Amino acid sequence: MNSSSTRVRRTRRAAIVQTAIESRRSRTGTGRPLPVAAYVLVLIMGLPILWLGWAAIGSALGGDNGLAASMLPTALRETAVLMAWVGLTTGVLGLFSAWLVTHFDFPGRRILEWALILPLAVPTYLAAYSYVEFLDFTGPVQQLVRLLTGATTLQDYWFPTIKSPSGAAFVLSMVLYPYVYAACRTFFLMQSASIDSAARTLGANGWRTFFSVTLPLSRPAIVVGVTLAMMEVVNDLGAVQYFGVNSLTAVIYTTWINRSNFGGAAQLAVTIVLVIALLIFAEQRARQNRVYATHRDSTVPAAHLRLGRGAGWLATAFCSTLLFLGFGLPFGELTFLASRSITPATLAMTAAAGLTTLELAMSGAVVAVGIGLLAAKLSAPRSSGSARGAIRVATLGYAIPGTVLALGLLQPLGQADLWFNRLTMWLAQWRPGLILSGSIAALLYVYAIRFLALSHSTLDAAMRRRGDTMLDAGRVLGVKGFALLWRIDLPTLSPALLAAGTLVFVEIVKELPATLLLRPLGVETLATLVYARANVSLFAEASLPALGIVVVGLIPVLLSTHFSQRRS
Amino acid sequence: MIGSTRTLAILAALLVGSTSAALAQSSEVNVYSYREPGLIQPLLDSFAEQTGIKANVLFAGDGLIERVEAEGELSPVDVILTVDIGNLASAKDKGVSQPIGAAALERVPAEYRDPEGNWVALSLRARVFYASKDRVTETALSYEDIAGPAWKGRLCTRPGDHVYNIGLVANRIAVWGLDKTRDWLGKVRDNLAFPPNGNDRAQVKSILEGTCDLAIGNTYYMGLMLNNEAEPEQKDWAAAARIVYPDAEGAGTQVNVSGAILAKYAPNKDNGEKLIEFLLSDDAQQIYANGNYEYPVVPGVNPTELVMSWGTLNPDKTPLTEVAAHRAEAAALVDELKFNEGAQN
Repeated sequence: MNSSSTRVRRTRRAAIVQTAIESRRSRTGTGRPLPVAAYVLVLIMGLPILWLGWAAIGSALGGDNGLAASMLPTALRETAVLMAWVGLTTGVLGLFSAWLVTHFDFPGRRILEWALILPLAVPTYLAAYSYVEFLDFTGPVQQLVRLLTGATTLQDYWFPTIKSPSGAAFVLSMVLYPYVYAACRTFFLMQSASIDSAARTLGANGWRTFFSVTLPLSRPAIVVGVTLAMMEVVNDLGAVQYFGVNSLTAVIYTTWINRSNFGGAAQLAVTIVLVIALLIFAEQRARQNRVYATHRDSTVPAAHLRLGRGAGWLATAFCSTLLFLGFGLPFGELTFLASRSITPATLAMTAAAGLTTLELAMSGAVVAVGIGLLAAKLSAPRSSGSARGAIRVATLGYAIPGTVLALGLLQPLGQADLWFNRLTMWLAQWRPGLILSGSIAALLYVYAIRFLALSHSTLDAAMRRRGDTMLDAGRVLGVKGFALLWRIDLPTLSPALLAAGTLVFVEIVKELPATLLLRPLGVETLATLVYARANVSLFAEASLPALGIVVVGLIPVLLSTHFSQRRS
Repeated sequence: MIGSTRTLAILAALLVGSTSAALAQSSEVNVYSYREPGLIQPLLDSFAEQTGIKANVLFAGDGLIERVEAEGELSPVDVILTVDIGNLASAKDKGVSQPIGAAALERVPAEYRDPEGNWVALSLRARVFYASKDRVTETALSYEDIAGPAWKGRLCTRPGDHVYNIGLVANRIAVWGLDKTRDWLGKVRDNLAFPPNGNDRAQVKSILEGTCDLAIGNTYYMGLMLNNEAEPEQKDWAAAARIVYPDAEGAGTQVNVSGAILAKYAPNKDNGEKLIEFLLSDDAQQIYANGNYEYPVVPGVNPTELVMSWGTLNPDKTPLTEVAAHRAEAAALVDELKFNEGAQN
């Protein structure tokens, strides 16, 4: 048997299989899903924004834009200043720490390298509450200062005010730098060491290499990380309210809650969406330059340059300080407060809220992963460009603050309930009541919008890695439609489904602003419980549920470390 | 076709067993409460004992009236228990309330209830000055006083657009008119020690810190802090301040209220009215007002001894509906003066 005839036979067999697949695909329509489904998804996911846009225009045309006009300049300015400071601080700290752990060796580097992402487990509002407990007048630091100096009031000594815009910028930066750190670290690990070596060969020292090679090259990674950090700033409600910053999100909340002005809130919300669109646009622009950034030469492994004694310990001190401020301090403060406040009452309160949170987060994860799977199928490499574009738009909810999404859902869901009740009354004299707006359906909806990007990107990546061969094999064997999903997609994607589910689960546990506005009456989650207590100066009472949120937040961080270590 | 849909719908109804159907029993009353469970539950329990009417209560946070508005005609709620004249008036403005047919409404002074009976106050909440025991010597202060140059850099309060402060500013507009209030509020802003943030308790904490000498706050926080066993350090905050009733010898101190609303689509209207009637009885007034160190709204019922030890409340008599009518102006004034950005000169 000569090789050419084998090749011919193989080619022919491949062609037959290919034809079989093509013909099945054209019959079942599973290969190139109609982009219509993708468009419907965009509409469903985009409903709150469309509604708000409509309401904003409506109220503006009705001449009611005095509120937005008077609140907007301050809100925009305070938001922009906060974003700028957090962007700058997280950018510098994240980049520098990532550069240190990937390029050098110093005491404790192996632990610090993974531990530096731990602050991601601390939601911004919890960081705010625990920092205030720690640094405020009655906190341990100032107590010590007064003990040492004999001072009695703040008139006797100077201490920075934590409840201020600069305090907010500092605290938010301390828990958000890991976005930049993680992006830059991944980038540096992919990056060949050859460029660095070349720079060194040409006589550049460590700092010169950093400023003229590393910094310019890693710009796209920095931008990605900083953008994510800034989106968290815009999304945050609990921390800015606590620090007294009149950011856009805080102003939207008071406009709706304290002034019952839906039109004004909608106008402000549309502004925030525009700010975010600008951010995404900037990020996309920065990504376009990735061509030169992905240069990779596997023959030159990344080298960890051993730092000298002094420099080495300096690097250790820098990274550990960062870790302490972002994770150690808030976690320690929460643990201390929680240990002091364990009583039957707080335990019962925590257990009740914990159970509600668990139910919500699990159902939310199932829904978000289900829609994520659908979206990943719709945006599979074979589907049309327009379907893929539509899915990209549908996943943009991760960038929209929870306050805005919740505001945009309140009215449409109420209307839907009303119409449905009228229909059932007409058909069967039956009034089912509030099905969407008064139940957790509203929450599941908003979680799906906000966390679709998480589940979609995880599943999309897994589907790309898996390829289509198994699906094709299944199709040749006559499996189609739902059975294909059940028998091939679910088993082959199960690790990714689990991973996506875990990510969404944790994000829901941490989520505050949307839950606050859309939760059914009487529903209290860990996050809303902590928020309510903190806002009446009773945060210590809620330190146990707060600690619970952080512990749950640690799950994905630890899992990802576990998996990446196993892989290497 | 319609028949089979009908069967389906009925089947679905049986399967879903919707909550609103369960809530709408005739021997029950559905309550949405902004007020905390510790205060409300004992009252509802004794109401059930007296009348046999079981109260289903949902405790909710901010945005309660907006929520009821969104629920529209499907809302299962009968009685809404909330705080602040803003919420009470907005319930009427948004059309989610209806006149309460309860004789007990007459027990409440006319200035503390809606002329058409759409809401009624259940307790009075005085907004007063918390003065530093160490750094403030004055024992009587008027509203005008704190706008004077002697208070430069010494005042503090929560954000100006919080409902409690909107209530205060609206009250001043009702008493003084817009122009005088604008002038006063601008001067108060310029006397602020730092840009407004935090809640009423946090301001009292600032007095202990020494960053603020005179805070604006509601009286009942004094009681809540003094008796806070869960966070005993708040006793120190409270101990640093004493209460001064503004304009005590003049036109009187501004009071806000907590109150009850009868929902427009109340499925158990009669039971709702019975509940409100009950809450205005002497016994219930005692429990309701005293549980949170507030002032009973029914004349002749006394506040707790602790509350009386702070001084005598001489409440400003401006009808609350008049105050409520100035809320929008008050909010606009707070924005116009950029009150939340703190002192400007």
